[in-house]
Amino acid sequence: MTLFDLAKKNVARNLSRYALYVGTTIFSIIIYFTFATLKHSDEISGMAETSGQIRSLMSASTFILLVFVALFIAYSNAFFLKGRKREVGLYSLLGVRKKQIGTLLLFENLVIGAVSLLVGIGLGLLGSNALLQLLLRLMNSDLSIGFTVATSALIETTLVFVAIFLFTSFQGYRVIYRFKLIELFHADKKGEDVPEASPFMALLGVLVLGAAYWLALQDLATSPLWGYLTAAMPLLIIGLTIIGSGLLFHSVLIFILGRLKANERWAWRRLNLLTTSQLLYRIRGNAKTLTLISIISATAITAGGAIFSVYYYAEQQVTSYAPYTFAWQGEARDIDADVLHQTTVLEKTVRVEGEMGEREYGVIDESTFRDVASDLGWDTPERLATDQVYLIDPFYDERFSIDVTAVELDGVKHEVASRYEETPLNVMTFGGLLLVTTDDVFTDLPEQAATYQAVSVADYKQQTALSEALSIEANFSSATALYSEAMAVHGALLFVGSFLGLVFLVATGSIIYFKTMTEAEEDRAKYAVLRKVGISKRDVKRTIRQQIAVVFLAPFSLGIVHASVALVAFSRLLGMDFTVPVLVWMGVYSAIYALYYVLTVRRFTKQIL
Amino acid sequence: MNPLLQVDAIQKTYTTGGHAFHALDGVSFTIDHGEFVGIMGPSGAGKSTLLNVLATIDTPTNGDILVDGENIAKLEEEALSDFRRDHLGFIFQDYNLLDSLTVRENILLPLAVTKTPVDETRSRVDALANRFGITAILDQYPYQISGGQKQRTAVCRALISNPKLIFADEPTGALDSKSATDLLQTLAGLNEAETTIMMVTHDAYAASFCRRVLYIQDGRLSKELIRGTTSRDAFYQTILDELKGGASDDAV
Repeated sequence: MTLFDLAKKNVARNLSRYALYVGTTIFSIIIYFTFATLKHSDEISGMAETSGQIRSLMSASTFILLVFVALFIAYSNAFFLKGRKREVGLYSLLGVRKKQIGTLLLFENLVIGAVSLLVGIGLGLLGSNALLQLLLRLMNSDLSIGFTVATSALIETTLVFVAIFLFTSFQGYRVIYRFKLIELFHADKKGEDVPEASPFMALLGVLVLGAAYWLALQDLATSPLWGYLTAAMPLLIIGLTIIGSGLLFHSVLIFILGRLKANERWAWRRLNLLTTSQLLYRIRGNAKTLTLISIISATAITAGGAIFSVYYYAEQQVTSYAPYTFAWQGEARDIDADVLHQTTVLEKTVRVEGEMGEREYGVIDESTFRDVASDLGWDTPERLATDQVYLIDPFYDERFSIDVTAVELDGVKHEVASRYEETPLNVMTFGGLLLVTTDDVFTDLPEQAATYQAVSVADYKQQTALSEALSIEANFSSATALYSEAMAVHGALLFVGSFLGLVFLVATGSIIYFKTMTEAEEDRAKYAVLRKVGISKRDVKRTIRQQIAVVFLAPFSLGIVHASVALVAFSRLLGMDFTVPVLVWMGVYSAIYALYYVLTVRRFTKQIL
Repeated sequence: MNPLLQVDAIQKTYTTGGHAFHALDGVSFTIDHGEFVGIMGPSGAGKSTLLNVLATIDTPTNGDILVDGENIAKLEEEALSDFRRDHLGFIFQDYNLLDSLTVRENILLPLAVTKTPVDETRSRVDALANRFGITAILDQYPYQISGGQKQRTAVCRALISNPKLIFADEPTGALDSKSATDLLQTLAGLNEAETTIMMVTHDAYAASFCRRVLYIQDGRLSKELIRGTTSRDAFYQTILDELKGGASDDAV
């Protein structure tokens, strides 16, 4: 029998074990190919030309994806090889030379690579086209495109994965040479010392994480720490978080498990003893993986949460900057649409000396203000006294802005009766800073008044044609145009963000799945013993569920906590409330993650019992 | 009084590719309370199948197995587990201890799932450990102790739930002769203290510690030897003679 026959037989006999590895590589290829297709597609490149943000986002994402895919495949390949130590040992024992075994494995891996590449690209073609449609919809684009095959994406994907497979193949080849025969046979029999937790390290872990959180929650504007550390600050926070997470899994978890096990009243009930022992037994080898997973989850949840929040608020932002669908300077025009409100506004422009130098304000009179306020459904404002004004400042931020309490108009001091942080008139036409005076004061102001039009129409998002027809007007502003720009940027952002989030999610789930299934192989004998001493299937299933739950939940909960801190910091920075969109995003993320858990438990139980 | 174990015409048939293979072909015997019975036979005779079926790890194709009048061949999966846990004890050739648990934890594992109070568990483990001389190693892990100690740990685990019947599957197979003799004397001592034991072995020396030996061949019981009042050495000689006879039968 030639080596090639052996390789063929091997694959055919152990199909289920290969399936896991092949599945991972195919999945990676689909993801990468889909993304490459999107990057290279004419529609996206067209958009990328107009928007630098999308372009840089796309190339940054490709890079992250590349690193990630390479790591992921290397990781699963290492797991795959580890599971086959005994087989390799057997060949060695039978006198097959290491060189031949190496060639066998190299050959096998290349075949797996080629098959995965074919299947992956095939499925990727379908996936990328479906996703492209979804992307265009999210971006609120009217473009419709048919089924496309991007040659450049095809070439890029092939090159990247051929490189990755060559790398993992040689990695495997190298590993064979490092194997010692005796280790191969006793790889999983060797007793490992049960780890002892150092309370000092456990405490240190908690402190380091606490420090990272504290730093992250410092106010960017006021904290002196940001002043000293500037750009090093985020790096410091990320570094401390990673170290803290590592210590947490290495020491804190061991500490807690050790305590649980020592508590006989709890431990000596059902299989609690076994559950904690198994977790402890494996924790040292798993600490790195768990840390990695908690960091990946945190990144995915943070990025996804932030992006989803921004998308979620995009519409709100549009209407806050452009409360009227259209506004321009000049005469009224016939509007061919369902007009909700239409107002003519007189505005004067004044310059006022203040603490921070001269500021320019637009001035409107009280009657106009009352009109627009009622159009927008605001509460009716109180009557102004002659020496009072309203100040409208949509950019007001208590951290940066000075508090203006009075303004001098035409030599007369006017008290600011109240400040509005929302503008009733489109910022791009009327300017952001507005003063509202009584009608008489307004008339008496020496400045020349300019005439403006403000129009609200129904279905403002769909008025693209109208918006373009009106855009020749002076100082034109359009909620329609603003909205479609926001959707183009945020829609792409949301898509790329959730795509990467999904990739990371699947990655974390798959890593745990892989690890658990490798352990299942090693643990099969243990569970057979349990069955023989009369422990029921129900009890065995319960301990399996619990063990896997800890491995899934521990890094995930930590990731959620990391992400929550990051998102709180982020939302403070932007001055937005992220609660609703972030909870939605976390809910979706958790649901998919939970699915992975159920799947892993099922497969594990099937393997063991 | 009913016998403790009553095996009634059990059959175990494996069918592969249309060929039926009878691993057990109508085996019947009884074991009374307080007996120490050895099951002997050449490789492939059906010893392990018989033990697995009796131990409820496997189910017979036909026939009944009654333990204290209860037909275990008819029990459901979960009920079997409970039965195994509460009434049967097992000692295996390769000990089957769990690496991640200490000696103490290995011993108490069957009690943990029965919700026995902690204090009672502790006193039972301590009493057994004391009796088998492993008190000093209770907090060590299986990979830190010798084969003889591992097997004594396994014996303690088998006894912790006060089983009606102990099954031993080649318990001396992996031990050196000194440890093997120690273990066999331990089992014989247990038997004198009224524990019923059924031991599967291919080793005549091990079998000579039993009160009665059943010989199995080609899935059927072929011989029965009873030690009676003879000495162990004399019984050993009887078994050896019998094995020679069996071998010459094979040659014919």
